[in-house]
Amino acid sequence: METARLNEIVESYPTPTGKILGILEQVQREDGYLQKDVLKTLAEKLEVPLSELYSIATFYSFFTLEKLGRHVVTVCMGTACHVRGAPALADTLKALLKVEEDETTQDGKFQLTTADNDFTVTSARCFGACSMAPVLRVDNKIFGYMTPERIPAVLKQFGWEEDTHQNA
Amino acid sequence: MGCIGYCREEPLVNIHLPGKPLIILHRVTEKDAEEIVRAVAAGEVPRKLSLCRINDWDPLVGEKLLFGEGFQDVPAYAEIPYFAPQRKVVLRDAGLINPEDIDEYIAVGGYSALYKALTRMSPDDVIEEVKASGLRGRGGAGFPTGLKWGFTKKEKSSTKYIICNADEGDPGAYMNRNEMESDPHMILEGMLIGAYAIGAREGVLYIRAEYPLAIQRLEKAIGQARDYGLLGENIFGADFSFTLTIAEGAGAFVCGEETALIASIEGETGRPRPRPPFPAQKGLWGMPTNINNVETWTNIPVIINRGGAWFSKIGGERNSGTKVFSLVGEVDRVGLAEVPLSTPIRTMVYDIGNGGIEGKAIKAVQTGGPSGGCIPASLFDTPMDYEHLTAVGSIMGSGGVVVMDAGTSMVDTARFFIGFTNEESCGKCVPCREGLKHMLMILDKTLAGKATETDMQTLEELSGVIKNASLCGLGQTAPNPVLSTLRYFRDEYNTLLKKARK
Amino acid sequence: MTIQITINGNPCSSEAGESVLTIARREGVEIPAFCHDETLAPYGACRMCLVDVVSGPKKGVTTACTLQAMDGLEIITDTPEILRLRKVLLELYLAQAPKSKTIKALAAQHGIKKTRFAKKVHPEDPLQGQCILCGLCVRVCRDIMGAGAISYIGRGQFTEINTPFYEENDACLGCGACAQVCPTQAIAFEDITGTRVMKSWSETKVPLKQCAACGNYFAPVPFTAYAYEKLDPAIRDEIRDLCPDCRRKEMTRKAILLRAEGVGR
Repeated sequence: METARLNEIVESYPTPTGKILGILEQVQREDGYLQKDVLKTLAEKLEVPLSELYSIATFYSFFTLEKLGRHVVTVCMGTACHVRGAPALADTLKALLKVEEDETTQDGKFQLTTADNDFTVTSARCFGACSMAPVLRVDNKIFGYMTPERIPAVLKQFGWEEDTHQNA
Repeated sequence: MGCIGYCREEPLVNIHLPGKPLIILHRVTEKDAEEIVRAVAAGEVPRKLSLCRINDWDPLVGEKLLFGEGFQDVPAYAEIPYFAPQRKVVLRDAGLINPEDIDEYIAVGGYSALYKALTRMSPDDVIEEVKASGLRGRGGAGFPTGLKWGFTKKEKSSTKYIICNADEGDPGAYMNRNEMESDPHMILEGMLIGAYAIGAREGVLYIRAEYPLAIQRLEKAIGQARDYGLLGENIFGADFSFTLTIAEGAGAFVCGEETALIASIEGETGRPRPRPPFPAQKGLWGMPTNINNVETWTNIPVIINRGGAWFSKIGGERNSGTKVFSLVGEVDRVGLAEVPLSTPIRTMVYDIGNGGIEGKAIKAVQTGGPSGGCIPASLFDTPMDYEHLTAVGSIMGSGGVVVMDAGTSMVDTARFFIGFTNEESCGKCVPCREGLKHMLMILDKTLAGKATETDMQTLEELSGVIKNASLCGLGQTAPNPVLSTLRYFRDEYNTLLKKARK
Repeated sequence: MTIQITINGNPCSSEAGESVLTIARREGVEIPAFCHDETLAPYGACRMCLVDVVSGPKKGVTTACTLQAMDGLEIITDTPEILRLRKVLLELYLAQAPKSKTIKALAAQHGIKKTRFAKKVHPEDPLQGQCILCGLCVRVCRDIMGAGAISYIGRGQFTEINTPFYEENDACLGCGACAQVCPTQAIAFEDITGTRVMKSWSETKVPLKQCAACGNYFAPVPFTAYAYEKLDPAIRDEIRDLCPDCRRKEMTRKAILLRAEGVGR
């Protein structure tokens, strides 16, 4: 992120209320992740220790320290989605996009990016779209009443082709 | 337009022809557009798409809306089984007004309660009225709202804050999202009245970042209210000024806890702080602070306008008013249903929800999110209110009702919730951080068929320790899904145990 | 205002609002606690100081460190329920910090020899399998020293304490206050000719200051800068650049000189 843009974001918070998280959220939205250099610049600008910003960046699940893919596919892992089959959606996505987990964390959370950086598959706790469970979100678009069978059609809308990823 | 809450039938379309009832069309698709336009042009409505008609509507705080007569063959709103048992107080405007237009809110009596409070009532009068209503916190704990306001009011400080907790974090619950998206001004009005009563000049709306539309609509509502002089200096000419800021949450369930929420607004990680001092004494930026949930705030205008006595007649004993529940999971009619408190679970699941999908038998409901418990079908006469749900090992929480049919494994459900709270634990105190981790390990072992009776005892003992020794509400309630399933569905655990499988 | 509270049946006087843990310790009542230090605000994380309030505004189990004294408050520190909770907590600590002698000793005191829970395995743990995440190091570094060199990383069971990005951090003063307050002696640092290496904190290196008189290395450079700033300028100029030994010698020499002058007069 350009310094000028970063300054703009910082200046858009005239009061300290909600400032630090608000700035980091905006950076996350625009850059797709929180870069080390940006955090260092911000620590100086905001006069807070870098350790605090790093702590925040690793505490809140909205933030990532690694760049996400061009499209982010999020599987809702809320209760309604869980009982209506979200785990199968996650498995199907991982298989279709050929992303493997290095290690399965105990909490079942994951964030996996394809080799060509086209897609990141991740999970979220609840979108509040429970009536359409189970739900997927691709970028900002919500897809309700999902089934594993419908996933390829959804991915195709975002430029996914069955074969290109076969050998990725 | 906002949402009337019958999510199963969506997308819905409202049609109002002059002098005719308001017609709600359901399950509308793009292909239906032409037919709808043709019908409307002929002064008609497409019958096969019509869900119901509304001849008139009582917005409770303003004059009755008279839409008109006719279309008698379309069922009336009150005849629709999904709506019949409901009582709309909080969601009275939802789906009927444009949430992005302050004029529509004002047209249905909006901001008249604020006017009444500022011009005819003292701050103490307002607090007394809220006390008289019996309103209790809708975030889940059920603390009397009027009493809570009194704590912050009595603090002597030139700066005080009020906060709206819109970090709706319970998975399977989305009533706050609809309240914000369908009627943002009602929240603003509630907060303004609260600020006046408490003596706060500044307010913060803490909204989870996962709700972009809610954030957008509230930003718009704040802008409109500012243009109308309803936010700013000397509102309605009274000696009362108020500003409102939106702060976004960043994905941490624990930030629903008041002290963690405050830490988050202050730009820290959301680790709960010890109480005392309570937020009412030292909250945001060290100043007296009052925090209420979205739905608590939305109840305030109608209480001021119709009176606490009127409000207290709705619902059950010590449980006045209505509650919006999100009815989801393995249930036929999913949606947001608002009913008087103390309505039996049965009414919710069978009358409103029409039972299981394709007639499947229902095994249990899970209420209260990760802090709640699973209630078996044999206890569906339990009234849905603070005391009765607690008595059966669950809680009311923020209003999530997840229905589970016979196909759902209760051990897997318990594991799901412990997985959730384990992931969302802030990690500050040892019982929650370490205890939940080990509970999860035991549950995984159980699901893998490798657990023993001793493991079950350890699971139960750990649950008790986490409940009693944790720092904040997240840990203190996290074992509930396990405790309630152990209580009602012990046989499901037993069949998974090692010796039973030999 | 002096008030009366009762601990285990014995009346004690204290100031209103004082922490019950502080009072109990002053009165010689033993209550274990890992995350408490008198110089820092009560934190309520380790849960070891749980006590039972039998008479007070809110009855039941709560932490003594966060409990404020008020007239008529009555607590018991060793009910069967408290001891039972404490034992399970110690089992959790044994699993989390299996290498900690402090934890083992306290557990043994409570009759716990082993834990039922799976022990945490972390072969390259910079905190040597001894950290219990009490947060004292983080708080002393930030709140007392004003450095904020280390912080919590992540959340829940994956929480760790270290420098940002697990890299050397020049915010570290090298003061070692973190190691000083650590209840389980988990934090390691070493002085190697002219450099202090904070082994637990991503090998952060801090230069040591050489004594102007004897040439020995005696304190981290950034820490002396921090400390000198807080000192009275008159004293500061007298002791600047001297190690504690040489400082003492210098002071003694000056005192003798002063007295000699006095006698002379």
